[in-house]
Amino acid sequence: MASGDIKGFYRQKKKQQKGGITKSVSASASKKKKPSKSGGSATLGATDPQTPVLFAHGAFDLTDDYGEDEERLRQFDMDMRYGPCIGLTRLQRWERASSMGLQPPADLRNLLSRASGPKSPDLECLWEGRV
Amino acid sequence: MRVDVEMSGGSPKLLERKQAVYRNLDERYEIHGEKYKGQQYSHIYFTRLHYMRNLLYSLVPKWKPNLPVNTVLGLEEEKECIIVGTIYKHMKLKPSILDEYSKERSKVPLAKPHNFVHPDDHLILEDESGRVKLAGSLLDPSAFVTGIVVALHGKETSEGKFFVLDMLEAGLPPQIKQPPSLKDKFVVFVSGLSIGSSTFNPLQFQLLVDHITGHLGDENEQTFASQIVHFIIAGNSVQILQGLLNGQTIAPRDQSTLTEPIKELDILLNQLAAAMPVDIMPGPSDPANFSLPQQPLNRCLFPGASAYNTFISSTNPHQFELDDIQFLGTSGQNIDDLFKYSEAKNKLEFMERTLRWRHLVPTAPNTLGCFPFTDRDPFLIESCPHVYFVGNQDKYETTLLRGSDNQSVRLICIPKFCETGVAVMLNLRNLECHALSFSTSLNV
Repeated sequence: MASGDIKGFYRQKKKQQKGGITKSVSASASKKKKPSKSGGSATLGATDPQTPVLFAHGAFDLTDDYGEDEERLRQFDMDMRYGPCIGLTRLQRWERASSMGLQPPADLRNLLSRASGPKSPDLECLWEGRV
Repeated sequence: MRVDVEMSGGSPKLLERKQAVYRNLDERYEIHGEKYKGQQYSHIYFTRLHYMRNLLYSLVPKWKPNLPVNTVLGLEEEKECIIVGTIYKHMKLKPSILDEYSKERSKVPLAKPHNFVHPDDHLILEDESGRVKLAGSLLDPSAFVTGIVVALHGKETSEGKFFVLDMLEAGLPPQIKQPPSLKDKFVVFVSGLSIGSSTFNPLQFQLLVDHITGHLGDENEQTFASQIVHFIIAGNSVQILQGLLNGQTIAPRDQSTLTEPIKELDILLNQLAAAMPVDIMPGPSDPANFSLPQQPLNRCLFPGASAYNTFISSTNPHQFELDDIQFLGTSGQNIDDLFKYSEAKNKLEFMERTLRWRHLVPTAPNTLGCFPFTDRDPFLIESCPHVYFVGNQDKYETTLLRGSDNQSVRLICIPKFCETGVAVMLNLRNLECHALSFSTSLNV
């Protein structure tokens, strides 16, 4: 139903800023994955705001598929300092960054090595299978 | 390994062949069963830039101590600074796969030029943040290729280009001091045998083999031959008839034509391996993989020679140590590619440039096939070799290159044996080189 919920709107904008660098790329990528979802579920940011009529309950299912760990890993994927992320598993990229002396955060490695269960972070990078 | 000397009347004297301590350093060029998972070349460029940039950052303070170092995106107009990045050369004549789809057929020249350099080529510097066109007359595009990492001093102009005032290359890498040796020991290099091609002269190569193994000549010659400690074949040992490899099933009688060159090579290698350590490197026309680093030729190709422990099938590029003297060499693809995309006085100057840029194959993966490594660039030259050789060149050339830090490198261009009949002999004691010429024509 048309919810015109302003709070819902603002929540979406905040999410946008967090994933700011990935605006256009992620929008198209996530659109590819979930075409059926309302408004193309622009998870990490679309430039134009969604029309209220497409919202189900005024709140976006933005964190449905992934938790905070996954979000941190996505930021690790997007960080230019550690080089390109496509074509490597996240663990391999972490190991490479570590052996090059770039000092990636150590707790990310723990996250990746104990990945198990349904809500666990993905071992492959964000664009795996999508590009 | 003994060389028999037969003298007329009197018991034969035995000459011992000298030996040198050999250490194979090809590990960095071996693929070790690494599987291709669909990755692209961005990783190899990233690791190359990272390594070279750290190196250049350490050299910049000595070069221009008071200038700030920026990334490409951090350039400000009219502010002098230093940027470090990978050079990309935009070449008008460089063949592109897209030319097949281009509507303007007239742009494609009918005859393929050997050299794609054009006066309109220009250089661009690139790092992770962005690219910038280079302006100014300091850098001559014909001397550069895509893929080298340099530091540039200059400033951004109002057009958005970077006006170059000065350039810093990494320079020759540090060299481990070569220990002095007292005895004359020789290494023989040969390349471009092309067994199976129309230019191969079996007698000529047999002459070479007999001379080196000591079956020819009098006592003096044989003493000389007994001082040869190692034999390197730098690529293109066979030439397989291409006409048969067109995708159709090969008739049984053609199958034997295909394998004849390899069998012949095996017989010759057998004779050589029985006499001294032999290294065989794959080349562009050998039955090895196409992209660099080429993996060692399979030992099954040489059933006779691989029975000897003196027979070593090595990678291309090949790195090894003989009596603590560092050798580094390729079968020619790196220099030939530089020759296609840039200009220099002679091949030795290309070799010198690869050492100054500290990269063995700067044009890989741009115009030369290369395995898409994800975590390293194995072609970076970290320590300066004492001997740097390149095979399959047009003529024999050599020089001693001196570096600013007391480095001294013997550069050798090994000519194609099938065309010139020339093999190269290097003395390990003083790194002096001379040519061994074999001829079978009767009217000399």
